[in-house]
Amino acid sequence: MMSKRLPGRPSSLRLPRPPAVALVCLGLFLLCCLFVPRFASFGNLENVLRVAAILCIVACGQAIVIILGGIEFSFGASVALASVVTVMALPAAGPIAGLAAGGATVIGVGAVNGWLVGRMGLPPVIATLGTLMIASGTAAWLVGGLPLDAPPSAAFSWPARGRVLGIPVPILAAMLACVVLHGLLAYGRIGRLWYHVGANPLAARLAGIDVARIILLGYAAAGAFCAVGAIILTSRVASGQPALAPNLPFETIAACAIGGLPLSGGRGHVLQVVFGVLTVAMLNNAVVLINLPVAWQLVLLGLAVLAAVGLQKDWAALKRLAGRATR
Amino acid sequence: MPASDEALLATGIAKTYGATCALRDARLALRRGRVHALLGENGAGKSTLVKILVGAVTPDSGRLELGGVPAAFGSVTQAIRAGIVPIHQHLSLFPELSVHENLSAFALSGGGGLWAGRRLVDPSRARGWLAEVGLEVDLAAPLGTLSLGERQLVEVARALSLDCRVLVLDEPTAALNAGEADRLFAVVRRLCANGTAALFISHRFDEIEALADDVTVLRDGRTVIDAAPIGRHSRETLTHAMLGAGVEAGPERLCARAEPVLAGRGFAGRGDTDITVHAGEIVGLAGLIGSGALALAAWLAGAQAGAGELSVAGHGFTPGDRRRAAALGIAYVPADRHVEGLFAPLSARRNVSISALGRFARLGWLRTSEEAERIDPLLRRLKLHPSRPEAEAATFSGGNQQKLLIARCLALPGLKAMVLLEPTRGVDVAARGVIHDAIREAAASGVAVLVATSDLDELMVLAHRYLVVRDNRLAAELPQDAPRAALLSALSGSIAA
Amino acid sequence: MRPLSDSGARFLVAPASILAASALFGLATPGFLTLDNGLSIAGQIWILALLAVGQMFAITVRGFDISVGAVAALSGTLGVMAANAFGMPALLLAVPVGFACGTVNGWLVGRAGFQPIVATLGTLLAVKGLALLVTGDGQAVPLAAGDTAGLAFDAVIGLPPLGWAALACIALAHVLLRHLVLGRRILMLGSNPEAVALVGGAPWRIEMSAYQLCGAFAGLAGALMAARAGAGLPTEGAGMELQSIAAAVIGGTALAGGRANVWAVLAGAAFVQVVLTGLNLSGVSPFFAQIAVGAVIIASGLMDMGLRFLLSRLSRTFRQQGTFQ
Repeated sequence: MMSKRLPGRPSSLRLPRPPAVALVCLGLFLLCCLFVPRFASFGNLENVLRVAAILCIVACGQAIVIILGGIEFSFGASVALASVVTVMALPAAGPIAGLAAGGATVIGVGAVNGWLVGRMGLPPVIATLGTLMIASGTAAWLVGGLPLDAPPSAAFSWPARGRVLGIPVPILAAMLACVVLHGLLAYGRIGRLWYHVGANPLAARLAGIDVARIILLGYAAAGAFCAVGAIILTSRVASGQPALAPNLPFETIAACAIGGLPLSGGRGHVLQVVFGVLTVAMLNNAVVLINLPVAWQLVLLGLAVLAAVGLQKDWAALKRLAGRATR
Repeated sequence: MPASDEALLATGIAKTYGATCALRDARLALRRGRVHALLGENGAGKSTLVKILVGAVTPDSGRLELGGVPAAFGSVTQAIRAGIVPIHQHLSLFPELSVHENLSAFALSGGGGLWAGRRLVDPSRARGWLAEVGLEVDLAAPLGTLSLGERQLVEVARALSLDCRVLVLDEPTAALNAGEADRLFAVVRRLCANGTAALFISHRFDEIEALADDVTVLRDGRTVIDAAPIGRHSRETLTHAMLGAGVEAGPERLCARAEPVLAGRGFAGRGDTDITVHAGEIVGLAGLIGSGALALAAWLAGAQAGAGELSVAGHGFTPGDRRRAAALGIAYVPADRHVEGLFAPLSARRNVSISALGRFARLGWLRTSEEAERIDPLLRRLKLHPSRPEAEAATFSGGNQQKLLIARCLALPGLKAMVLLEPTRGVDVAARGVIHDAIREAAASGVAVLVATSDLDELMVLAHRYLVVRDNRLAAELPQDAPRAALLSALSGSIAA
Repeated sequence: MRPLSDSGARFLVAPASILAASALFGLATPGFLTLDNGLSIAGQIWILALLAVGQMFAITVRGFDISVGAVAALSGTLGVMAANAFGMPALLLAVPVGFACGTVNGWLVGRAGFQPIVATLGTLLAVKGLALLVTGDGQAVPLAAGDTAGLAFDAVIGLPPLGWAALACIALAHVLLRHLVLGRRILMLGSNPEAVALVGGAPWRIEMSAYQLCGAFAGLAGALMAARAGAGLPTEGAGMELQSIAAAVIGGTALAGGRANVWAVLAGAAFVQVVLTGLNLSGVSPFFAQIAVGAVIIASGLMDMGLRFLLSRLSRTFRQQGTFQ
């Protein structure tokens, strides 16, 4: 076998594992096409993608945190806070600045998490659960616990309802998010260092890396992805809702776990995130189309997470055995 | 040899992992009342043999006899119940629990019963065991408040609670200082006087000669010297048996002293720790474990915070500021490869390029083809095997993983100094040679090199001069041609330096 | 010289925090430091206390259980349904339901080797969905079998009867952790997981028991929740998992495992309640209380870090003295 690498072939396009998720995802798609009524219509598929879009954008952020060896629970709360901030800022600042203020809020929460985890050494679970409570408390406090409607305007509803070249903006944004994430992970210096820090933070420090800064930037970048999701979601619901998207962190973690990102950090590819998200979105859509109670979405999501992680566990064990054999 | 004398006999032991043959035909015979040393290079099958003896691994073929009776262990627990008690570096003790509870760990974790208090061993018996290993501690004290050496003795004391027939000491002194090691040896000898057999695994000839009665040497999964009395073979013969080849030649002499590069003053707030490494020079920092040699070296590389002043090529930096140190051109290989060095899930190339990313980055974006062009030749030069820069670091052998850390040093932009801690610990002979050559080449090109190791043989083949560390200070400086005996006595402090 | 043991110090943080917070609120609001208010707080802490004690077992074996809130909701709801069908005592069916959820978590973590967060996230989602499904989309199920308000709210010698019952369960947890073999094994597993197998224990069984205990206590909390509300609330309990982690950590449970004290965890739960009540009496927006709990979670984490850091400093000076003499 040729062991010498052919120059110019980008290594980063290769999946770290065989694309098991892709197969599962494709299988689910075929099953749904065959057995779920109205699933395979163009309108429904666009709807699936539209719903998947926000999840995908935020899951891209979650993926960064997971690659860093962390976990981010505060996304839902910071999206809610962003929607409240946006709607409160709208009258004074106008739609664009308002949405920007909301986005900046999410990035700010992410940076605080990054600071707590990176500089203060808090376990990610504790830090992000704490900021979750603080962000959702602040959101409810600002509007007294009730949703606040936004004055309608074309610019404000564009992120959710606009189309560019016939493609809905959320779907376009999701594709862009995936490209940006892939660029960061495969070709960005910072993305490379996220893998290093996630794989072994102590070794990264001894190699001369400012680990706390890399973690801070990672959580802030995750916040930036989440901010895009927050803007689209706020635009869609056209109101400031203190209880917006409470399941978002769970769904994004689930999507990443189903996609095969190990929570131990140091591994992950953007395609895994995409297929994980598509799997979650198709499951949710199928539940609705079959007329099952919506609660089945949660049950199936939970089971899917456990099944996916369980399957990957066996895979990892096999791979370890193979690795030992070649040693 | 009378059969009644035999504590444990292993014959014809073989074990393969996948395609790798770890043991081919190993034989080991332990006798009651004697300490038996097991020697072998890394990869000789030593650790596999030990794992088989203590029940952690089942052999593919071969016979195990315990006191003349055939035995087979399905688990470590079974082996322990049969009287084979392992003492590892990583102790099987519970720091958060009391000494008394630790001594009762077997009773607490096995069997039914409800009340924990009833399963604790009788305090007077517990104190008796502690007395037998010469330890005076409060039974109620949390184990975490004891020193490492004391904890090891607690582990030995716990072994007394079982009918201990074979004590397996797997590098027990690696984390002990000289005093603690002596104490452990005295206890082992006393136990042996009562008829226990001990298997002693160590890399240090001094310890082996001090403690062991017999020696067995493994090479390539076979027993090459079988239970010879310790005085029969010289160190050179034993080394030759282990390596199966000639020992490396020493370094060429360094003629002129070049300019100073790496300098440190006032380690741990002491005055007698000034250290200077010159360009092109390999300084061997020698020290027994616990002497502070590794800590001193880590401090010099900016990897450990503390008092003192550090500088490289005239630029000062703060102790513990590893980032600045790396930016100034100090490369560093930490002592514990897995914990401090390796990025196991990342590719070999990425493991190497981490410290050189600035070279391949433009405005924060990496040019991966340039990265491959620059890093892969380095890996070829270090004979990375298998030669797959894309493979995950976790899939390589220990020696090749260590090569990755060395390559990471060599790839550092503006490399001025290298600080290497135990650069060939747990590394096979071939990789060791490659790594030593790379270190020599780096020095020849003008890099200042400091090697801190507890491996005297390594120092003798690498260093241009030796600095001996004892009690956190520099106790002696010896020239390249200093005899081994002088180094040994400086290390142990037996003569005033 | 031996280093100071921190085992005492870390368990005193929660009681000290209660004193400090009480003094603060006492100064700010005159109505706070009264016997009535004290009893009112004492009547309210038990749901959180039960969840926190359960969570403590999971944290002690170096894990987390983020499903406790959902498990409490499901088991409370099923308990109410059982009580309506078979009579009042069947409300306690909540406990075996919680135990079963804990068994799933424990099997996944201990036997299948899942990371605690992934495993309990999976069960969190599934259990949440199940609670909605059994009630037909999240309707509260009224407890028709009998009136529990008296048991839940009317004080007998200071505490409502259900408060006493919860206290008894917590005392049982203390006996279990301190004096029973299982408790000792849980501490051993948290202290040194690798060593447990070497001394003849079965790590996965111990780990599973810890999660089972966690689930059973979540079931108890669910039953108490239902008794207080007079209904099974399938959507209740969101956010409780966070508060339970906070209370357990403030109560000195080491995130690194192996150290726990049930009474300190109870004090941690009481502290969270003191903060909530104090803010409420001070006339601050109730939503602000949520912010305060978030701050308390982060502070408790920082405290754990701080203690560990301090300890490592102490033991480092010790090691230098010990090894280099």
